[in-house]
Amino acid sequence: MTRVALVPGCLALLPEYASLDDPVAELRAACLAAVAWLGEDVRVIAGAQGARVASALLAEVGAAPVSSGEAAYLVVGNGSACRSEKAPGHLDPRAAGFDDRLGRSLVEPDADALGALDLGLAEELWADVAPIVEAADLLRRVETVAVDYDSDPYGVRYWVARWEGNVG
Amino acid sequence: MLRLGRHEFGDDDTLMMAIVNRTPDSFFDKGATWAEDAAFERVRLVASQGAEIVDIGGIKAAPGAEIGAAEEKSRVVDFVARVREEFPRLVISVDTWRAEVGDAVCAAGADLINDAWGGADPELVDVAAAHGAAIVCTHTGGVTPRTRPYRIEYDDVVRAAIDDTLGYAQRALDAGVAKDSIVIDPAHDFGKNTFHSLEITRRLDEMVATGWPVLVSLSNKDFVGETLDRPVGDRLLGTLAATSVCALAGARIYRVHQVPETRQTVDMVWTIAGRRNPARAIRGLQ
Repeated sequence: MTRVALVPGCLALLPEYASLDDPVAELRAACLAAVAWLGEDVRVIAGAQGARVASALLAEVGAAPVSSGEAAYLVVGNGSACRSEKAPGHLDPRAAGFDDRLGRSLVEPDADALGALDLGLAEELWADVAPIVEAADLLRRVETVAVDYDSDPYGVRYWVARWEGNVG
Repeated sequence: MLRLGRHEFGDDDTLMMAIVNRTPDSFFDKGATWAEDAAFERVRLVASQGAEIVDIGGIKAAPGAEIGAAEEKSRVVDFVARVREEFPRLVISVDTWRAEVGDAVCAAGADLINDAWGGADPELVDVAAAHGAAIVCTHTGGVTPRTRPYRIEYDDVVRAAIDDTLGYAQRALDAGVAKDSIVIDPAHDFGKNTFHSLEITRRLDEMVATGWPVLVSLSNKDFVGETLDRPVGDRLLGTLAATSVCALAGARIYRVHQVPETRQTVDMVWTIAGRRNPARAIRGLQ
């Protein structure tokens, strides 16, 4: 059985951007619990900034990324950043539909839909989904799914999700 | 660690020391808190504003009617006991140069003796040691308490301030005051003209570099007034500008009339200096 977790690439999770009053306390708690659940050997699927977030979360739970051997997977990605007028990318009317489809595909999970995400639209909506597309095949034979966090407190759609199953 | 009597603080903490005058004639409030109940209201106010320390004084710094030790004690000792009882978490400082007064207020619950007059009474350090209290070692250029500076000059005012406050700190150590309970204060305007106080401000980093925690008392003082040509009552902006410079240099304790304004100023500068995190930063980091 292989474990896979998804966390968002929210930079506020990085220790160098810490506040006195954590603006993402709930998200952070969910991310740390999910990362701890992965165990000690974790392979990271992420872009450059996402990899920093992954490393920081792993370090926080006393783990470190590995590049080979049997491991769990930590995927760093999130939905659009155009969900409201105050959102980083301002309001794009396509954002809600895009995120809802993505959310459903993650929960089911629908590996084919995730593998076929529209990267062009994702870029226009400031969504960081390339690592999710890359990880889609890991979610073909999933037995359990848990969504620990699903919200958009600052105009960006975040999910913290965990899957366990047989990876081909 | 900084230990002020029964209270401990971390090395990156900044502290607001709110002035509470039990005097009929201090320059800024002009007797507004002379009555005990008014002074107590002032304590309640500054505590609610987040001041960590109250500095209770029974004699104004400027020359005036002679106030003996008995009269000074009658103004502050019972008051300290009352504050101690209602505000157990507040650091109580008493602004006095007299060992006899220091002894009585420490017995009543004071944590810190703020000797604005540079150790004029040599037994004050023994009193602090005996009570486990902290002490502020100030530089006054050797002037007699409650006298104004007159034609005082220094080869190097910062050097003099460092040498004298460290000498005083050593005397405190020798008397048995704990090392983490000694604070130094260049004492703006005490034994100094405006040019001296400005230079002390400009070069405060040299005092911080001694490693002793530095207290600054800038609030509405004459060097601010003379620099900006502003009367008492119109010196807040100048005070806060000077406060910023001292905060950037690393001053730890700020003796103030206006607590919230100074707290915001110090927090802002302390954060710019990288010694404090922002309260809540999310912009651009979502």
